[in-house]
Amino acid sequence: MFEELSLHILDIAMNALAANASRIEISVLESRKRDRLVLRVRDNGRGMDAATLEKVLNKRITSKTTRKKNIGLGLALLRQTAEMCDGHFQVRSAPGKGTSVTASMRLSHIDRPALGDLNSTILALSAANPKVDVRLHYKTDKEQFRFSSQELSLKGEARK
Amino acid sequence: MNLEQLKQLKEKAQKQIALRESGKKYRVVVSMGTSGIAAGAREVMKTMLDELEKRGIESVEVAVTGEIGMVDAEPVVRVEEAGGEKTTYAKVNPEIARQIVVEHLEKGKKVESVAVGKAKEQE
Repeated sequence: MFEELSLHILDIAMNALAANASRIEISVLESRKRDRLVLRVRDNGRGMDAATLEKVLNKRITSKTTRKKNIGLGLALLRQTAEMCDGHFQVRSAPGKGTSVTASMRLSHIDRPALGDLNSTILALSAANPKVDVRLHYKTDKEQFRFSSQELSLKGEARK
Repeated sequence: MNLEQLKQLKEKAQKQIALRESGKKYRVVVSMGTSGIAAGAREVMKTMLDELEKRGIESVEVAVTGEIGMVDAEPVVRVEEAGGEKTTYAKVNPEIARQIVVEHLEKGKKVESVAVGKAKEQE
């Protein structure tokens, strides 16, 4: 079990790398007004067909993790965290169309893990994969930031 | 997370990426599958990147891999030399990670105390 949501993000992003993605878009939307936290990891990797997706989503959480057999364990963990915190979990994917994983949570839920060290997650991903564009979109009620490891650009702005 | 932190992140990422491109003497692979992450692989990775940067070591490429089937030994770090020799380190923590950078990657001496027997070809 991960103590930080940023570890979940790293784990899901590793799936994207395994799927040969050249772009990983991580969104963190945090709204106090709506008492909601939404995490999304979207990639342009090879995607999954319906049967694989089904298998991955119905994966039981087990400590028995042997190589190749534990694909989807990370998704199951994130799903568990989301559902534990009054949230939802969704995976959209299609062959050739990439994968999008979304998990929402009640921001004020007592069991909601802290976001944690998101910077380390982004750094680990971008330093280890210089050719992959790791993007972060972080949005709160008041402001939003965008980061891209390829453009190394940074945009921040206040929101009304 | 605020804009200032993100600015720092940007600068850091820029440096790290520049440092990790082009011909390298060593390739370090951190096992970053679910079990690796749960055991602390991200902190190990971060320590190695920071230490490499601090010491200005540019001859090392740092990469990540998914599950390698060594769940009990995580976090696992593998050091591959340009010559082909591979060393696998098991149960690495930030302290050991620092040692690997200083001893192995900088001075070229394996950290025998944490190295495990010749790992089979993985990947």
